[in-house]
Amino acid sequence: MLALVLALALGVTLGLLTNVSVPVGWLTYLGVAVLAAIDACLGGVKASLEETFDDKVFVSGFLTNTLMAAFIVYVGDQIGVRELYLAAVVAFGMRVFENLGTVRRLLFRRWGWE
Amino acid sequence: MWCEFSMHRPPYRPALVLVFVVLGLLIAVAFNTTNRLAEAPPGRASELVDVVQELEQQREELQDRLGELRSELAVLEREAADDAGVSVSFSRELDRVRQGAGLSAVIGPGVEVLLGDGTEVASGADPNDYLIHDTDIAAVVNALFVGGAEAVEVNGERLVATTPIRCAGTTVLVNSARLGSPYVIKAIGDPAVLESAVLSDDSAALLFNTYKNQYGLQVSLIRSPQLRVDGFRGSMRSQYAKPAGGGI
Repeated sequence: MLALVLALALGVTLGLLTNVSVPVGWLTYLGVAVLAAIDACLGGVKASLEETFDDKVFVSGFLTNTLMAAFIVYVGDQIGVRELYLAAVVAFGMRVFENLGTVRRLLFRRWGWE
Repeated sequence: MWCEFSMHRPPYRPALVLVFVVLGLLIAVAFNTTNRLAEAPPGRASELVDVVQELEQQREELQDRLGELRSELAVLEREAADDAGVSVSFSRELDRVRQGAGLSAVIGPGVEVLLGDGTEVASGADPNDYLIHDTDIAAVVNALFVGGAEAVEVNGERLVATTPIRCAGTTVLVNSARLGSPYVIKAIGDPAVLESAVLSDDSAALLFNTYKNQYGLQVSLIRSPQLRVDGFRGSMRSQYAKPAGGGI
């Protein structure tokens, strides 16, 4: 667990230090992509705890989720359904909380708090 | 089953750790972008406002400079007239033309018309009805000229041959200055004639007789035995119009 927190902190620090940013118009895509990435990562943690983690499944899931999320928003913009990003936000948001709940319960069991 | 895998540490694979680094990066990039957005001037409109304000300031400076140069020129012309013995009538003629063009400050009797926006907008009413518009100012100014006004200014902007009076957003553009309510229109001429000219003009009379009470606009006209109207401060350079010869 600690390794993951450190990894996250390392990523954030690297990003802030290099001060990389994207064009403002991409912000919605990036936001949805971040949400998808959070979902994929939680899914990865969950799979690890359930011992069903698989490198290929995880990495491909991370990439496709993130890219598809951004792509759906892009398509929405192109066909004039700007609200399509809401679909991605709602879907990934729900999954994030679902995964979070599962991970929490798994961690409780692991740490013997239950 | 749960007891079983609580016995050993879960295998956090390098892939998972690596992807968490990437997730952190993504979050940081989104954060950076949002930050930059907050720092950046919010959009084109306010950029243009800045541009306009800067240009207005430049115009002020240029107008001041123009005023300086004009007075310098006047001094030089007078000196030249003395030196070269150019007839006094020439420089008198020049002064007369300058005054006619509205370039010099003048004093004399006249009227002062105040036009101000209404303060309280009745609920459900059109707020536009409670404002003084460019057309109102134009109507009063035209009426004053009909009444033989010899010099007119609106909030210090002298009206000359090229003066526009038009709506510019929430302000009224006179010459190149944006003016706001209340508008004080000073006109030099016969006070009684000017007053009756304004009150007998249909559009202007509407302001005084109807809108003033109906919408609470500040509308007043006072005669004054002594008014000062400043000269035009803008540029009079013409780019296209050339002297056609003849004339006076």
